[in-house]
Amino acid sequence: MIAAGPSLPIVRVQDLRKTFVLRGPWPWSPTREVEALKGVDLELSVGQVLAVVGQSGSGKTTLSRIVLGLEEPSSGEVWLEGRRWDGLSEAERQPRRVHFQYVPQDAMSALDPQQTAAEHVAETLRVLRGRSRAQAREEADALLERLGLATRRDALPRQMSGGEQRRVTLARVLALDPHLVVADEPTSGLDPKRREEVLEDLVGNLPRDAACILVTHDMATARAWCTHAMVMLDGWVIESFDPRTAEPRHPYSRLLFDPWSAPLPSGSLATVGCPFHPDCPFAVDACQTVMPALEPRSGHRVACHAIHALPEPRTATL
Amino acid sequence: MPGEPLVELRGLTVRTRSRTLVSDIDVDVRAGQVTALVGPSGVGKSLTARCLMGLVDVDPGLAGGSLRYPGLEADRDWYRDHLGGGRSEMQRLARETSALRGSFFTYAPQVAASALNPGRTIGRQVVLAMARRTPPVEDPGREVRGLLAEVGLAPRTAGSLPQELSGGQCQRAALAVAIAPHPSVVVADEPETGLDPILRRGIIELLVRVCRDRGCGLLLISHHEDTVTRIADIVVRFGTPEGIDA
Repeated sequence: MIAAGPSLPIVRVQDLRKTFVLRGPWPWSPTREVEALKGVDLELSVGQVLAVVGQSGSGKTTLSRIVLGLEEPSSGEVWLEGRRWDGLSEAERQPRRVHFQYVPQDAMSALDPQQTAAEHVAETLRVLRGRSRAQAREEADALLERLGLATRRDALPRQMSGGEQRRVTLARVLALDPHLVVADEPTSGLDPKRREEVLEDLVGNLPRDAACILVTHDMATARAWCTHAMVMLDGWVIESFDPRTAEPRHPYSRLLFDPWSAPLPSGSLATVGCPFHPDCPFAVDACQTVMPALEPRSGHRVACHAIHALPEPRTATL
Repeated sequence: MPGEPLVELRGLTVRTRSRTLVSDIDVDVRAGQVTALVGPSGVGKSLTARCLMGLVDVDPGLAGGSLRYPGLEADRDWYRDHLGGGRSEMQRLARETSALRGSFFTYAPQVAASALNPGRTIGRQVVLAMARRTPPVEDPGREVRGLLAEVGLAPRTAGSLPQELSGGQCQRAALAVAIAPHPSVVVADEPETGLDPILRRGIIELLVRVCRDRGCGLLLISHHEDTVTRIADIVVRFGTPEGIDA
């Protein structure tokens, strides 16, 4: 097998924008436009794991849905494995979809209440991989064993713990040898120990030629499992860095990663300029009018006018 | 009075037929203070909180322990006649304590959006919760506005249905419902689940501030160690589930 070179990104997203038009309850109600994404760039290569971090409503889920082709962008481009992905018809997308898999947030409602763990995985292999019944069962058992679920193969979703349910949804995705896995808060509501187990199963068992996008709230997750982190605020990417070696620098990112480090923001985001400027202790005049660009062009990138005034981050200790 | 004991749970031990769920747990709740129950899932945090309210829904249930509410009846041990009595005794205990739930104790739910009644306005739900108060409230409208202001919601929220509010607003509304009966103890079972870190801190701080201002005890169930160490006055740590298997 020839491994894809580092030059070919699995995901490339350019200047992605998405505007939702919200309608009122009646035909004559005024419509309201919400800009969920305001120009997002992203590149992800083989072996990279990206943490997309942000508050509720910052556009994380919209971004992951567009990358998976579940939503059309208003403008911008999405390229998956070097081929254009946005704007295709469903018939054109269908044959490639199997490579780009999604791990849902709510495992319980994503699983069939009447199927056992092994049946979930075997059915996926039969339908999407064309395996025979016996072969699918064998492969499903092997995969469940690898994920430490061998003793739970005949359990129904309601007989499993929250962590086990999530690991079954992971097994189902990993069975397909995906090239890209997008996981939307795969660990929400789990305690720290089970969170580790789920992430170990996901990141530790990713195929060698795959990349992964983890939508998460949790800084510890980003630090321990991800090679890149991207902080989103109100549809903008405000910081992009390597969480294994660097600490976040943007005042908002620091608050997000350590919410007790500073006074709690009022929660009101500005519509003009940098959304965080009303609560930002470092705000300068420019922050009120212009949204800063991500600088510099590579490495640890921060979108902040006051970048030079920010205190030096501590180096991450691992 | 701050620091006054409201709940004294001693040596709580609960068994099913095959294993011990919690063993020898002590919990104190004091006026104006925060008691936190911390530990991984499945170690009996929620079970302990329910037992503390007189709800033991396992069979045979209580195997040991005593429960006192010093502010109510100083000498009464609510568990005394029910220890080792099996399901019927547990149901009797639940009936004896039922008048306390919703007035002495209230509950701030885990996922507020699904705990609120989707068919009733926020104002109506707060009014219904106030009905447990004695003496009855004279001007419910003003009281509702006051409670909503206390949790940081605009007065017009009273006319909204839960679906019209965001997740954080629902959490605030649920807290308003929880404090409406003027409880002595608020039990909050992982109120921060599913919220992002900033919203989580906001809700926890609100919960703590409201309870301290009102002088009620807060029993907080959480698995966020960083939250708990910052705000709790009393911390009860639970071991791993393997550790308590009988």
